Parts: sequence; C-alpha cells; structure tokens
Amino acid sequence: MMKANWNRREFIKKSSAATMAALAAGAPIASLLPGCGRGKSINSTADTVILLWMGGGMAHTETFDPKKYTAFTKGMEANSVLSTFPSLPTKIDGVHFSEGLQKIGDIMDRGTLIKSYQAADMGHILHSRHQYHWHTCYEPPQTVAAPHIGSWIAKELGPKNKVIPAFIDIGQRFTVGEAEELKAFHTAGFLGNEFGPFLIPDPSQGLETVRPPIGMDSKRFERRNQLYNDLISESAIGEFGSDYQKESLRRSMEQSYMLLNSPEAKAFDLSLEPKESYDIYNTGRFGLGCLLAKRLTQQGARFISVTTEYEPFMGFDTHENGHTRMAGMKKLIDAPIAQLVKDLEKSGHLDRTIIILASEFSRDMMVEGKPEKKVLEQVDQPDIINELKFYGMHRHFTDAASILMFGGGIRKGFVYGETADERPCKTIKDPVRIDQIHQTIYHALGIPEDTQYEVEKRPFYTTPDGKGQVIKEILAAGKV
Amino acid sequence: MGTSDTSFRKLRFRKTYIALPAALVLFACSAAAQDGSAPANGFWLWTLLGRFHPAMVHFPVGLLYLALIFEVVARRRRSIQYAGSVRLTVGIAAVSAIASVVLGLMLANSGDYSEEGLQVHQWTGIATMVLAVITAILYFKNLRHYAFLLLIVSTLGVTISGHFGSELTHGEDYLTSALPGNNEQPDLAGETTYSFASLKGPLTEPQIQELNLQVRSIFAHNCYSCHGQAKQKGDLRLDSKQAIFKGGKNGSILIPGNPAKSELVRRLHLPRSDKEAMPSKGKSLTANEIAIIEFWIKQGAPWSAAPEKSLFKIAPMAPRLPSLPPATAGIQNPVDRFVNAYFNKNDIKWEKPVDDRLFLRRAYLDVIGLLPPADTVDAFVNDKSADKRTALVYKLLSRNHDYAQHWLSFWNDALRNDYTGTGYITGGRFDITSWLYNSLSGNKPYNIFVKELISPDSSSAGFVKGIQWRGTINSSQSTEMQAAQNVSQVFLGLNLKCASCHDSFVSDWKLDDAYAFANLFSDSALEVHRCDKPTGKMAGRRMLFKELGTIDANADRKERLNQLAQIMIQPSDGRLYRTLVNRIWAQVFGRGLIEPVDVMDNNPWNQDLLDWLAYDFVQSGYDLKKLLATMLTSKAYQLPSVALKEPGMLTDAGFKFRGMVRKRLTAEQFSDAVSESLHPVYPDSLIVFNLLPGTVKLNIPFARAALMKNDPFQTALGRPNRETVSTSRSSQANLLQALEVTNGTVFNETMKKAASEWIKKYPKPEVLVKEVYRNALGRLPDNSEESVALKALNPKPTESAVQDFLWAIAMHPEFQLIY
Repeated sequence: MMKANWNRREFIKKSSAATMAALAAGAPIASLLPGCGRGKSINSTADTVILLWMGGGMAHTETFDPKKYTAFTKGMEANSVLSTFPSLPTKIDGVHFSEGLQKIGDIMDRGTLIKSYQAADMGHILHSRHQYHWHTCYEPPQTVAAPHIGSWIAKELGPKNKVIPAFIDIGQRFTVGEAEELKAFHTAGFLGNEFGPFLIPDPSQGLETVRPPIGMDSKRFERRNQLYNDLISESAIGEFGSDYQKESLRRSMEQSYMLLNSPEAKAFDLSLEPKESYDIYNTGRFGLGCLLAKRLTQQGARFISVTTEYEPFMGFDTHENGHTRMAGMKKLIDAPIAQLVKDLEKSGHLDRTIIILASEFSRDMMVEGKPEKKVLEQVDQPDIINELKFYGMHRHFTDAASILMFGGGIRKGFVYGETADERPCKTIKDPVRIDQIHQTIYHALGIPEDTQYEVEKRPFYTTPDGKGQVIKEILAAGKV
Repeated sequence: MGTSDTSFRKLRFRKTYIALPAALVLFACSAAAQDGSAPANGFWLWTLLGRFHPAMVHFPVGLLYLALIFEVVARRRRSIQYAGSVRLTVGIAAVSAIASVVLGLMLANSGDYSEEGLQVHQWTGIATMVLAVITAILYFKNLRHYAFLLLIVSTLGVTISGHFGSELTHGEDYLTSALPGNNEQPDLAGETTYSFASLKGPLTEPQIQELNLQVRSIFAHNCYSCHGQAKQKGDLRLDSKQAIFKGGKNGSILIPGNPAKSELVRRLHLPRSDKEAMPSKGKSLTANEIAIIEFWIKQGAPWSAAPEKSLFKIAPMAPRLPSLPPATAGIQNPVDRFVNAYFNKNDIKWEKPVDDRLFLRRAYLDVIGLLPPADTVDAFVNDKSADKRTALVYKLLSRNHDYAQHWLSFWNDALRNDYTGTGYITGGRFDITSWLYNSLSGNKPYNIFVKELISPDSSSAGFVKGIQWRGTINSSQSTEMQAAQNVSQVFLGLNLKCASCHDSFVSDWKLDDAYAFANLFSDSALEVHRCDKPTGKMAGRRMLFKELGTIDANADRKERLNQLAQIMIQPSDGRLYRTLVNRIWAQVFGRGLIEPVDVMDNNPWNQDLLDWLAYDFVQSGYDLKKLLATMLTSKAYQLPSVALKEPGMLTDAGFKFRGMVRKRLTAEQFSDAVSESLHPVYPDSLIVFNLLPGTVKLNIPFARAALMKNDPFQTALGRPNRETVSTSRSSQANLLQALEVTNGTVFNETMKKAASEWIKKYPKPEVLVKEVYRNALGRLPDNSEESVALKALNPKPTESAVQDFLWAIAMHPEFQLIY
C-alpha cells in the first residue's frame, strides 16, 4: 500500500521537477489544470506517433483483410460479393492483402495487422461522429470539449524538438462539407489552445506555415524580430512588473521566431527532398503528407496526423463506384506508406516511432452498422448488380475494420484478431475497441493509464474512466 | 577558552569504542538479510524486535536535544557543573542510537516500506548514530569544543532522520499537508460540533440527521481520499450508506449497536505505527471524532429516511442586504466602501489611482471593447474637470451599438451562440444573434433577458433548444438535458453535468434532480437514464431549488417554461443575480468575487460586496449598465493592475483583492484594436449581416471581429468554438497564436496594407512614429523608443520597414495587455 503511495508521490515529484525544468528552459507554462492519477511510471518504447488516417471508412475486405474474390459480371448477385479484388501474399506467412497493396504487404514483417477493430454503436452512421470518437476516444457530443489524441500527447509529453509544434495535422481542409463537425475534434478541448493542432492542410505548402511571411527574406525577418525586442526593452513596460500574460506572450513570440528561423524548418520544405525519393511519395496530397511526416519525424516531431482527407462522398467515402475508386485510393496510399516505414527504419527512427493506419469504420456491400445492430441504410444496393457503379463496398460497416501498426515497440510480423470469412465478415476473435488502441499508444509513449485532469470537478481521463486496456499481445515481447 | 584543546587529527579511537556498535549493526544486517526476499515470513523475533524501533528512537532524539540544551545553558553560564550530565546524556543517547539503528534495520526488513524513503531514513539514521557515538567519545575524552560542534551536527542529524522516519509512518505530506493552502478538500459543510454526550433516550429525527451528517463529514474529511470515488483501498467506500454497510475486502466494517466489535472502531483506535491503523495517512481522528462515530454505531448507525443533509457547501439562496461600511473622505462609492473595509481588515493600502491615459484605455476596452482614439486621449488628459472619469464611464455606456458589439462576444460564448458550427447543417441548431444584439443595445433588464431565454419566442429559442446531434447520443446529451445543464451553469453558476449521468460525487445534486429539471424542457416525459442505461423510472418535473417554487407538472411545455422563468427571475432567487454580478465583476476586474465563475457555491473573497451588488442590481431594475457604472466609477477600478505570475493564481482560494487583475485583449479586442489603430483586419463584406438586426449596418465603426464568423485567426487568439458553454477565456499566449500573428496570412496581409497606407499618409518617419504610438498606445514614444524606431525606418522609410514597425507595435505587450 505504501509503495503505491510512494510511487504516486514520486511521480508527481518527478513531473513537477520536469515542469520546473521546462519552465527554466522557457517552455510555455502548461495550463494549470489540476492533474492527477499517475498510477505508475512506465518505460516508453516510443517518442513519436504518426497517424495515417484513412478518412471516410476503408473497407477491410478490400484492403488488409480480403475475403473471397468475385469478379464483376453483369447480373451477379450482390450478396455473393465479399471482395472485388484478388488477394496477394504478404511478408507474413498466410496473410494476404487485397491487390494493389503489395508494397505495404512487403513491409508487414515490420508491423502488426489488427483485423478486429469494432467501432461504436451510435445509431445512424455519421462519419464525423465516428471520427470524433476515434480521435478523442469519447462519443460525441460531450459536455466538455474532449481533446484530440494528439493534444493529449502534446500536453503530456510536450514537443520533442522545441521548435517543432508537438501536434501537427497534415492534409485536412476545413472548407469541406461537415467542416464544423471536423473542427469539433481537431481541438485540444479543455487542455487549451496551446495543445491544439498545427494545421498544414496542404503538405506541399507546409513550408509556408513555418517560414517568414511571403516576401520577407530571412534578414528582414531577423531585423523585424530585433526591432520588436528593442522596442519592448526601450519601453517603460518593465515598470508594470512581470505577469504571466506578458511572459507567455514574449516566450511564444520567441519560440515562433526560433521555429520560423530554425534549420529544422527546412524539414517542412519538400522541395529539398531528393527527386528520386520525392517521386516515390508523390502519389498526391496524401503521399506528400507522408513525406512531410517522414521529414518532420526525423527532425523530432511528437505527433503527426496525415489524412487522405475526409470530404463527404470523396476519398474512402465510397457510396458508389466502390471498386474503381478503391483502386485509385490504393495507388494513393500504397507506395508512400511503405516508403515511410522503410525510410524511418533506415534513418533509425522507426524503433521509437509508432506508425498507425486506421479508419473510422469499414464498409460492406450489404450490412449497414453491425450484423446484430443494423441501422438505417444510407445507400441503395440492388440485389442484382448490372452496373459497375454498384460493384463495391458502399455501406457503412462497424463490426470489423483493419488497423496497421509499425515501429515504436509494436510486435513485428503479427496478426491480431480474426474476422469471419463469410458475410457478414464480422469480428470473431479478439475484438478491439478504440480505448484499447489509445491506451496502447499511451502505454508505448510512457503516459500512465490513469492520466486525468479535473474539469469542472469531474475527472477526465485519456480513455473514458481511465479504463482503456493495453493490448499487450501486439507489443513486442518483453516490452509490457 | 579553548586553551586545552588538542588537535582533532591527533585523536586515536580505541577499537572497543567502535567494535560494539559495529558488531550490533552487522548482526542486525545479517539477520535482516536472511529473510530479505520474503519479509512477510521473517523470523518472528526480528519482526517483534523491529516493532520496538518507533519507541526506541525517542531516546536518541530526546537525549541529544537534552544534551544540547545542557551544553548551551552551561556555555551561557560559563559553568562546568553540567559537564557530567552532558557526558552521561550523550553517552546514553549514543547507546540508544545504536539500539535504534539495530531495531530499525530489523523493522525495515519486515515492513512494507517504500524503497527510496526508507533508504534516506536508514542512512541518515546510521550517520546520526555514528555521529552520536563520536560525540560521546569526544565528551569522554574531554574535548568539549569539538564535542559541542559534533553534538549540534548529531542533533541536526537526528532531526532530519526523524523527519524522514515520520514520513514513512505518517506519509510524505504529513507536515506539508498542515500548512495553510495545502488543504485540497472541497468546501464542506457540517463544521459545527455538536455535543451528543448529553443526549438521553432515543434520538429524534433531527438529531439523527445531525448525527449522521457529523459522521459523514468526518468520513469526508478523513477517509474519502482513499475510500471514495477516486480510490477504493481495500475495496471499501465510505461515501454512501450502501457502501458503508457493504463493507470492504475483509467484510463488514461495523456492527450496528456494537462499536466495540466494529472493525472500523478497532482500526481507529490502533496506534499510528500499526499497519492496520486508520487513517493510514494524514492526521488521526480526534478523540471527539472517534467518540461521535462510536456513538453513532451504538445508536445502531442510523440513517435518516429524510433527505440527507448536505456535506457540501451550498451558497445561501436568499438575497441579502449587508449594511454599507461608513463613507469616508474620497470613499463614497459602495464598492469602495466595501473594499475599504476589506483593505482595513487585510492590512492592504490603497495604491495611487492609475493615470488618465491608462484609465481611459481600460474604460474604453471594458465598456465598448475599442481603443480610445488618439485625439480623445489628448482631450481627456487635458480635461481639468474633477469628475471626468465618471463622466467618461457614462458616456461610453451610452454608446449602445459599440457596447452591444463588444458584449456580444461575452454572451455568445456563454450562450454558445455562434454564426456557424455543428448542428446548423441539419437544422439541429438555431442562432439567437439578432435577439441578443437587440437585447444588449437596448440594455434589456436582466430579468427579462433571462426570461426570454428560458421561456423563449422564436428569436431567442436557440439557447434552450441546444444542439440536436444526428444519430444516437448519450442520454446525458439530449437537448433537454443540454438545456438543464446550460441554464444551471450560465444562470445559476451550478454544475449539473455530473448529475445528468449519475448522482453527483461533488455536490448534492442527484440524477433525479437533473432529470426532473431537464424534463421541464421536454414535450414528452423523459425516462431517467443512469450512465446512459434506462432505469425504467420516469422523471418528475421540478425546479432544482424547490424553495423557489413549484411548477405545474401537467402543464404543457410552453406553460412550464413560463412558470420556470417566473420562478427563476423572482428577486428571491439570489443565486441568479449573484451569479450575474460575479460574471460582470470578473470581466471588469479580471477575476471574479467567486472563482471559478461557474461554481457559485465557492466562497467569495468578499461576501458582503457580492451580496450588496446583487441586491442593488435587483433594486436598480436589473440594469446591467448601471451595474457596470457602479464598478467602473469606483476607486477600486482605478487601482493599478495586479500582475499574477501564474494563471493558476487566478482561481487560488487564498486570493486577496488588490485591484484589477491584468487582462489580455481577447481575440475580438485585439483584432478591433488593430483594425482601429492600424488598418482594418476584416472587410465589411464578411460581417454576418443576415443574422444581425438591420440597424447594425448604420452603426459599425468598421468590421468588428465579433460580427465575423470564426476563422483560424480568431481561433488561434482564443475565440472558442461555442459547441459548449464557455464563460472565461485564457489570457495566456501560446506558440500557435504567435505563429498565426508572425506569419499567418490574415495578419500579414493586414500589416502590409496598413504599411502602404501609413507611408502615404505620413511620409516623414518622425511624424509616422509619433502617430503610430499615439494611435496604438495612446501616447508619444519616449526618446529611446523613438530612436530605435527611427533607426529601423531611416533614412527613407520603405513600405516593408513600416510594415515591420507596425507589426512590432501590434505585438507589443503594452498593446496586447490591459494595464
């Protein structure tokens, strides 16, 4: 009993020592929410997380968990179609991926495939609500603004490299449909703006976000900063004494100057990437996002999200022409993801970086929701398929979805969970819920399971009630 | 003195002095080592002996101090008559120190102590023992001066070692938890002591209630931290009747009627060193507290059938008119009279009021959210009339549109009204912008304001309608429950969010209360859901505070809301008006009379002032502007701003008022200040005219940020997304903000356009610098500032140089903060 007490106190001691050190180093003062519940300190196996977000609902049977292939023929029975692509072997014995994902298949000896992710039941399927749930671990709406997983990590661990924002979000524009719903979870919530996402909607414009304003050369940028500092030091403002508002203002201005003026900012400049490498990644905005993520990880990023971008009825949100569009999506993701894993491995960063690929739910041709809990169907699917546009996975399936994880202490060449080989292709073994995914990531990062803050007198945990369980099976042996 | 000293180096220890303690210590170590890996099964004798350690340690502690006292007295009196006593005392101390160490090592190996804490205690203890032994040797060798020095060191050592030892036994926060300000308990009621000794015969119902409250209060203060919601050590909770009678891992904890056989009582009586003693950390219960618990158990551990009396502090509901402290010279304003009494009581002096320029800037920003124009500053400073500050406040308050355009942001946050956001896309949300704007510009009496929000027509319905999310939602987020939560938070400073899922752990609000309140807003009757699971029970229909009145449960929704509104806005609802004046106070003075502003059951730093303001507010016709005038024409408002080193100090319970706490411009104030003094940030075309009353078009000085949809620039500067109620904003800067203003497009473009205009208007750098300072900061640059600026602009200012200068001024703390 005493031991546990001591550990808790010790942790608080340590963390307050870390806070002091951070303050001395000029880091921003974390918003002073009463934090508590650091059950035990754990050793981390990762420092960085890259989330590869397949926005819109990626069908597991068309990607990483293919079932029996039925080629398109006019007059075919819809219910007989489980996959619209043939399967090809991967580096893991007995594991096949859908055609078009061979490059990722070839690196599966570096990671784990989870087949059995089950999304929540929230009635009538809505992408933004499931995405909110995936990213915050809480079902919307909430009475307090729930933080994005990237914000939790930014809050708990801070930036890895002081001049690179701790939470970088690449590829999602907020000018698309459901933009407000997307904004609702792209936020640090009650943790405070400071831990919110640094948005780079277009990775090829990444540099613009971290370099002096357009038309301002570095000399002038430096001069401007100097003028700012001189004007303050010549003013009588010091007579007012020191307050947190002024100190935080000056500190953040200084940080921003450092970032915009730092050599690390070059990581944002994709034009500096050798052409050969650039071309491999350049499958589109998502591919370039992976390239940016690679460069930033190598310079010390903490949390990066790269998305194929969610826009209603676009990307993976295939309400029709599922087969054709899936082929295109595979082209977009296959090469850059495989290259990202290989490049980070080569540069020695993969060992401490978790790469996780996920989607808010899966798709099926027939079942909307879960087999036992069907919900309102949103897509008309004829029983007999006469047109190619009805050939594909168009309904929102929440009973099983695939997740890939690489690096940072994740087990290599491993498959977790199982799904049925016949429709409904649902989870039949080791179901995984979102709080387990979050907790496993937090665990790998060394963030205690019961990390919480008191908000309006109620504890708010990283996972609801602090109950998320680490999926120990997918951690490399001896890392639990 | 000191002539007979021998050099310390010449000392030779005789082996026998050391051999004995060393042997004993080694023996203890080896005895301990034998069972080191399995302490629980250690040889019983070592365990038994080890338990004498806590008793034995008092010998070296007491004796070393005693010896030190003897020695000091002897030295002061220059007497040698104590020499023998000192020698003997130190001798016994040394021997008992050896014994303590030996026993301690045994205990260490049988006890379940934390590794690090133990290590520190162990080694300081052994070091002290060695020191004590050497001290004794020196005394016996008659080397009194060295001995004295070492005695001091030994005494220090025994103090330190003893401290770490006590932390092992009592917990690390044993000492510090008693320091003021380290008490993290929530405000609890039931502090009064009650004598039960005199009670005879069966208890009456009120006595049972009171006794029960006392017992729960003792549990709450002493036991909840380990046996409550947060932790359940030994699977035991003491925070409900059911849990108490259920007991813990080891079975029931009490036998009603038989305290002597109750486990709870046994544990309370155990000596602190016993591992089973409770509380295992923190202070012991007092004899009186234990007696109360015993008495309660003896009475059969009664639990009244009536509603439990509250453990939590609940602010009084009734309005109250405290008598005004006497007016004195220069202290006429009611606010000042209360503050003066407060200052006297707290020994705080009135500082000199801020100068005209600072006052003007404050008043402008607080009332209408704008910077004072440069010419106005000059005119105000040169104005010789005595009441110019008061006159200014009234003049600003009369600028209805400017006032509305400023306060719109505050109320939009609180009423979570926004021009875009989730819900609008599917008709699941309704804006109240036009109603709100008119209410503010017309200075609608606050009682009517509240009434129209609770019992709305279509123009103000958006607030209680909430946001209808698509799909299935948690039952604690139904629109009816949202209404209950938001009405209670915004108007009553009360958190109903816990209770909308389950009975609250931090207040007395129950699930039933929340549902009954939410049910008022519902067309069809709500079923009570606990943690999102239906209970099969239908919710009642009632107001949270029953004493305020009842609502006809059978009336239709419209009528129910009408009745609710009438109940809520009646003057006897002191809570509504205290909540409001506290919010306004927080806006003006940077910190509420009560913090957080949504927890009105917390203690204010000045109850009289809060009560008076709320009372006066009602008497004066619920007039928000008059309330502002009372505050802004006070001397207290003119005090120099107070700098806080950390944002956490804002909500600190020990806060002392000394003047306005420094504020930072809000997102809207900052944008407007830039727009006004340098160049408009937004074009008029972005104003949400379609949502605003038509009159606005004729009454905008420029495109004010409050009238814009939220954008990344505003978000970065702290404008909330208004999905949930938001009643305060952080005034701390952060990196994302800094990046947004350092290289973000919105701001960069603004500065660029500003430069091109300024340079055209003021080609001469000397004039330009002066005018920028006058417009942005309301003052002229001093010489050194001017020379820095001119150096950057000379010889001939380019557009980019001007742009950078304007940017640097906008980033200046003096521009961004309200001093």
